[in-house]
Amino acid sequence: MKKSIFIVLLFSILLNYSCTSDETCTQTKYVKLTTNFYHVHYNDTTKIYTTSTLSVDSLTVQGLKLDTLTGQYHLVDSILYNNQKKVSSINLPLNNSSTQSKFRIRFNAIVDTMTIYHTNFNDYLSLECGCIKTHSIDTVITTHHYIDSIQIKIHDVNTINAENIRLYN
Amino acid sequence: MRRIFVYIISLLLCLFVSAVTAQKKKQIIIPPDSTHLLNGFTVHVDAASLVTSTLMNNSTYSMEGGIQLDLKHKIFPTIELGFAGANKTTNDNIGYKTSGMFERIGVDFNLRKKKKDSKPTNNLFIAGLRLGMSSFNYNVTNVTITDNYWGTNESNNYLNQHTSKIWYEIVAGVQVEVFKNFFMGWTIRDKNLLSSDAAGNVAPWYIPGFGLNNGTSWSFNYTLGYHFGSQKKNLKSNKVLLNQKKIIKQINNN
Repeated sequence: MKKSIFIVLLFSILLNYSCTSDETCTQTKYVKLTTNFYHVHYNDTTKIYTTSTLSVDSLTVQGLKLDTLTGQYHLVDSILYNNQKKVSSINLPLNNSSTQSKFRIRFNAIVDTMTIYHTNFNDYLSLECGCIKTHSIDTVITTHHYIDSIQIKIHDVNTINAENIRLYN
Repeated sequence: MRRIFVYIISLLLCLFVSAVTAQKKKQIIIPPDSTHLLNGFTVHVDAASLVTSTLMNNSTYSMEGGIQLDLKHKIFPTIELGFAGANKTTNDNIGYKTSGMFERIGVDFNLRKKKKDSKPTNNLFIAGLRLGMSSFNYNVTNVTITDNYWGTNESNNYLNQHTSKIWYEIVAGVQVEVFKNFFMGWTIRDKNLLSSDAAGNVAPWYIPGFGLNNGTSWSFNYTLGYHFGSQKKNLKSNKVLLNQKKIIKQINNN
């Protein structure tokens, strides 16, 4: 009898151990603003604007961070895209601790500065994955050396891979 | 796949052990009075949760017991009460702490059919349902968001979060009378939450009485119980069952 009780208890313990979960996070935590490049064509004869995907020959993108002491922006050490060839889409990380994210974008030899104003949200995933910061784009301001115009397609920036901004040349 | 395999093996071995235990009984047990509505009640505690709590370094712990009424030895309305909690720290140093009471109400049915030539027994093969509920507070601490590109680091604490959870359980198991009025048994439970957490909400990691908050979970209870309510008194008042006792004595003498 004692032996039977022991066996049942032993297997109940094994069963409980086998049903415990591990601590691996299986959810994606990658939050990036997706920007796609387009070129606008104007047909003189038909007088219709058409757009097509733009592939930039050489692209360099770097963040600009505000120095609170001097009140001036300086380039972030890490370069997001470094002289990358044939680029038609970029993914940019928005600043979690600020409501604006500024980027210096060099298209071939022409430089533009794009500023994204956004609201930040804490998004709790799970105990295993922790928390991520999601964003909602309020507005986008840019210089117009290479960039002609900008269109916000989807304001919510989260783990879903969606086109947030269209950048027209 | 490995978990399912371990689970099936455990189930088969438990069934085997129960069968052997039942077969070893040499004395013929006087069956409960199936003509009376109430045949007493059994008070039981769960031993499996106590043992596993200790072995799991108390990251989760649970204590529970219950009362089971015996209606005509066929239907067993059950109330279970318990206290459970968790004190967990993940590899990323995120802390989760909770504790709370839980309740379950439900009913079990005796699936063992009485055969004419079989020996009378108090052993049960049961299947049933439970409705479980728990209302509890929990804290999630030190949830950090690290931004490697912009070089920022933020830590958040979510304190005194409160929620109520309701779930149902499908229960199956056995109960064996090992000594007079003293029962041992096990149940396997398939637990299913009746509500889910909205995305982005700080959802609880552990729910007292349910387990890990995964929508569904399995659990195993090993119960020790004592039956209250004299079966002999009932039998004396029943002429039909007195005849049964005579037959049983004759079998014993043979």
